[in-house]
Amino acid sequence: MLETVTQSIITGVMMGIIYALIALGLSIVFGVMNVVNFAHGDFVMLSMYLSYVAGTVLVWDAVATPLITVPFLFVFGVVTYYLLLDRTLRHLYVVQLAITVGLQILMRSAALIIWKAQPRALQYSFIQGSFEVGGINILTSRLAAAAVSLLFIGAIAYFLNKTWAGTGMRAASDDLDAASLMGVNYHRTYALTFGIGAALTAVAGGLLMSFQQTDPVGGVRFGLLSWCVLALAGLGSLPGLIISGIIVGVAETFAITFFDPRARLLAVYLIFILVLWLKPRGLFGRR
Amino acid sequence: MKAQPFYKRLPIALLLVILAAALVPLAFRSNQYAMVLVTTVLLFAVLASAWNIIGGMAGQLDLAVGAYVGLGAFTAGTLLIRWNITPWLGMIVGGFVATGFAVLIGFPLFGFKIKEVWYALTSSALVEVLRVIFLMWNEVGGPTEVYLPAGTNPWYSLRFNTYTPYFYIMLVLLILVIYLNHRIRNSRLGYSLLALGEDEDAVEVLGVNSQAAKLKALMIYAFISGVVGGLYACIYGFLHPSFFSTAMSTEIAILGIVGGMGITYGPLIAAIFLVSFREFLRASLGGQLEGLYLVVYAVLLILIAMFQPRGIAPLVYRGYQKVLALIGWRRHGQPADAQSH
Repeated sequence: MLETVTQSIITGVMMGIIYALIALGLSIVFGVMNVVNFAHGDFVMLSMYLSYVAGTVLVWDAVATPLITVPFLFVFGVVTYYLLLDRTLRHLYVVQLAITVGLQILMRSAALIIWKAQPRALQYSFIQGSFEVGGINILTSRLAAAAVSLLFIGAIAYFLNKTWAGTGMRAASDDLDAASLMGVNYHRTYALTFGIGAALTAVAGGLLMSFQQTDPVGGVRFGLLSWCVLALAGLGSLPGLIISGIIVGVAETFAITFFDPRARLLAVYLIFILVLWLKPRGLFGRR
Repeated sequence: MKAQPFYKRLPIALLLVILAAALVPLAFRSNQYAMVLVTTVLLFAVLASAWNIIGGMAGQLDLAVGAYVGLGAFTAGTLLIRWNITPWLGMIVGGFVATGFAVLIGFPLFGFKIKEVWYALTSSALVEVLRVIFLMWNEVGGPTEVYLPAGTNPWYSLRFNTYTPYFYIMLVLLILVIYLNHRIRNSRLGYSLLALGEDEDAVEVLGVNSQAAKLKALMIYAFISGVVGGLYACIYGFLHPSFFSTAMSTEIAILGIVGGMGITYGPLIAAIFLVSFREFLRASLGGQLEGLYLVVYAVLLILIAMFQPRGIAPLVYRGYQKVLALIGWRRHGQPADAQSH
């Protein structure tokens, strides 16, 4: 029993860190631009498909595919921003929601056209496999994915705190008008933000493809998962985001192990709803 | 305002539309596909018009219509399957079940002042929670499709071979919902809802209990959706957890938004144009490439949201006024944009 619990916690923690990476992209877009991106999960779905394409065409390992998909998704994010969001920033949030929902339908049906409805998966990745520590089975792929995710979250933290562009992003998040007066070009800053948000999903997509398959509606799950992590974390705290990701990941594995695999999202949603009711600013929220 | 009979307050165009709609089945009697199409348009119009009460007027972006539809469908369906209770009654019971659920959810939700995107996401999550619960609840079917018995009398079991009766029932529901929208809009509740959609704190200061007003709006909307859900089960003839659909919930809200938030006829106009456009695309493009029609549909949605952020209803309304002016019949004291505040 104790072993099963430890096993679930460790698996959940590793998955949770990947969820934190996915939620990070959503978090900076929502935090900096105040744009409600309903299509975030579908960016993950698209990334996974692109990883699949890169992996099959170039015969690359899933883990290496972000080398191609990250620039692609970054450009995709920037273009999306300039085409769809730039002119609607000052509208009601429902307008942005309608646009991102349209984008979601667009991406989902495009994926359906291009890759049909069957789930796609890559060949075994070199990080596939497992090893044992004290009777606990650890999947190498998850461990590697979690480690890479942590690395990228750290890199984003460095970027936000130590570079001029990152400082501009934080300034735009705190007070857009003041930041504009201080010489921050908010169009460019927002484009960069949305691009980074999309690029992060490409990293996550590559990692996920090393041990998962993807299908056109797979984005729903990641979208709601990352909103849940974000609700739990609140805005503005990266360690909080990681911890929240871990809570969500552990809750998910517990639901799978001890209740019913079909209920994996149930636990996540229940946490989500309870947190919103009881702690609307999240557990670690700055505002 | 009160002294006028209600038919005088309805635009003539609406009466004409209703009249034309009532004649549609006569034109399409032999064409079942067209009947499916118009019934689908009506279904979406009813739901989107109900959504208008909570979403458009009160500004609460509810994405849970699938939850209420599903609850209504499973209530009415299970009552018919298990105890042979007519869906006429089952629809009403389904409406009340949905309302009960709405109170259960809405009370804490509005009590804790959950707003905007967080309200939208919680309501969306509720649909998914219910779907998973019903997927695991084997007594009402679990993951398998449960078929509704056809029965001997189609008027008792509400199971018809053609879509025509469903069309008329749906049309009656639509007229009721539009009338309800109209009444609410011109009532104390409607003014409170419209005001709190703009600025909740200011409304509270003026002595309006915004929590109670939102809860009332949510209950009305849930009841209608539950009733429609009961009919939905009869039309499709089976029960399945996929009735708790987040995609459908989002689509209803989108119809409400692109129709024009808070405009009585907005969702109806959006449903007529967009749903029939989508189904037309599905029919004409669906054969070539699966999913292509949705690409076109999504592009249209994005374009409307970008270039007509107040919705398409004001456009249609302006066109209607122009037509009236053209034929030399203009109503007095009504500016062209009176409906779109």
